[in-house]
Amino acid sequence: MGALRVTADSSTCVTSSLCVYRLAQVFDQDEQGRVVVLDENPPEGLRRELLRAARGCPTGSIRVEEAGEGVGEGVDE
Amino acid sequence: MDSSCPVSYPFPWAPAPDIPEHWRTMRENPLLHVTLPSGDPAVLVTRYKDVRQLFADERLSRNTSRYPASRISANNDLFGDPEIDNDPPRYLEERSVVMRAFSARRIEALRPVVKQITQELMDAMEAGPKPAELMEAYAYPLPILVICHMLGVPPEDRAKFRSLIDGYLSVTRLPDDEVERCRVQYWDYLSELIAAKRAEPGDDLISELIRVSQEEPGKLTPYQLQHWVKTLLIAGYVTTASQIGTSMAVLLHRPEVAEDLKANLELVPSAVEELLRFQIMGTSLGSLRYALEDIELLDGTVIPKGATVMLSVESNMDDDVFEEPLTLDIRRQDNHHMTFGAGIHFCAGAALARMELQEATDGLLRRFPNLRLAVAGEELERPVGGFLAGYARIPVKW
Repeated sequence: MGALRVTADSSTCVTSSLCVYRLAQVFDQDEQGRVVVLDENPPEGLRRELLRAARGCPTGSIRVEEAGEGVGEGVDE
Repeated sequence: MDSSCPVSYPFPWAPAPDIPEHWRTMRENPLLHVTLPSGDPAVLVTRYKDVRQLFADERLSRNTSRYPASRISANNDLFGDPEIDNDPPRYLEERSVVMRAFSARRIEALRPVVKQITQELMDAMEAGPKPAELMEAYAYPLPILVICHMLGVPPEDRAKFRSLIDGYLSVTRLPDDEVERCRVQYWDYLSELIAAKRAEPGDDLISELIRVSQEEPGKLTPYQLQHWVKTLLIAGYVTTASQIGTSMAVLLHRPEVAEDLKANLELVPSAVEELLRFQIMGTSLGSLRYALEDIELLDGTVIPKGATVMLSVESNMDDDVFEEPLTLDIRRQDNHHMTFGAGIHFCAGAALARMELQEATDGLLRRFPNLRLAVAGEELERPVGGFLAGYARIPVKW
């Protein structure tokens, strides 16, 4: 298993704040309330919650990838 | 359910605080033909995976008053304002101005205020007669006080404000001229309030929106600003009040679940989420959209161009996505329910509502560990002809 890589598209973010409440160590918001990724390579132990954050995002603005391959934008575990 | 013969929507509620019968069986067909309270036709998308996908589909327009879409009721223009463009890109520009006030940091800064309000309301409940009536004593005042605090509505205006909104939100309860009177007076009241904030800005959301609209002209015209304030005030009040009430009714109707939660108050956030999924006060009327093109569902069924479409909140009961959906499970994980919708119109106040629901629930269970319904759940009355159908009264004792 490669390292996890998290990206988020702030241009499609609608400030549901779900990701921030789920994983405050990974996600934050700027002054406009738009998503900011604090830790692009979070530890492996957060995998399950990261996938939940990606799946829960109302606009699918969060991507969780590993070794160059998408593993979680609304896909099942 | 036969898909071709239209059924009346909203569906009838269950007698007890429980999931209505239709919600359990409606997904046999992915698309139901229904008749709205106005008598106009619409189609209801029933399955979670279709609903979730269609919330993000720009072929469904939110501009239902610009197209010949069906009306919710004959006399209510709740979501219809031809001067407001509810589709991208215009909608997103306006929304981005407002959403800064709803970030997690801003919502958490309000939490102590909400906690304080719950304590004061419970002090009054404790000092008052028993049984208490939960809607009037707690569920209605809490969100009104919070949204008025947030928007800067003066305390002396709050009773008037509430009576106007209650009238405006009637779908069939009040005569047409009465609804119209409330609509006009509410709009006039907001004009005065916004003018007062322009003259004397305060530390509140209306003043902030005025400031942003001046700094970034074009993003929010004065009319659009007033429209957003109108929407935020309504949305911040009735939905949360109804959900506070019904979620307590659902919980107290199941004493074993209430006991479990009281013994494990760290579960309040996931319990609130589950009660939002299991909510029995909302309908899919709020999701009304207009099909700009033919749209194919996952199984190949086609929504015809020109149809008025609702995306089912009842899909929260889809067993294709939720394990044992008819069981209230306060430990449920992966609870991505459709109560707040999805896509670009995802409920702007969702984080605020969650926080209020958490504080409301946690506060009640701590202060009144013996809290229970003072009547059988089957005897709780629902209001008739309103937009939302929580309970009219919820007598409780402790």
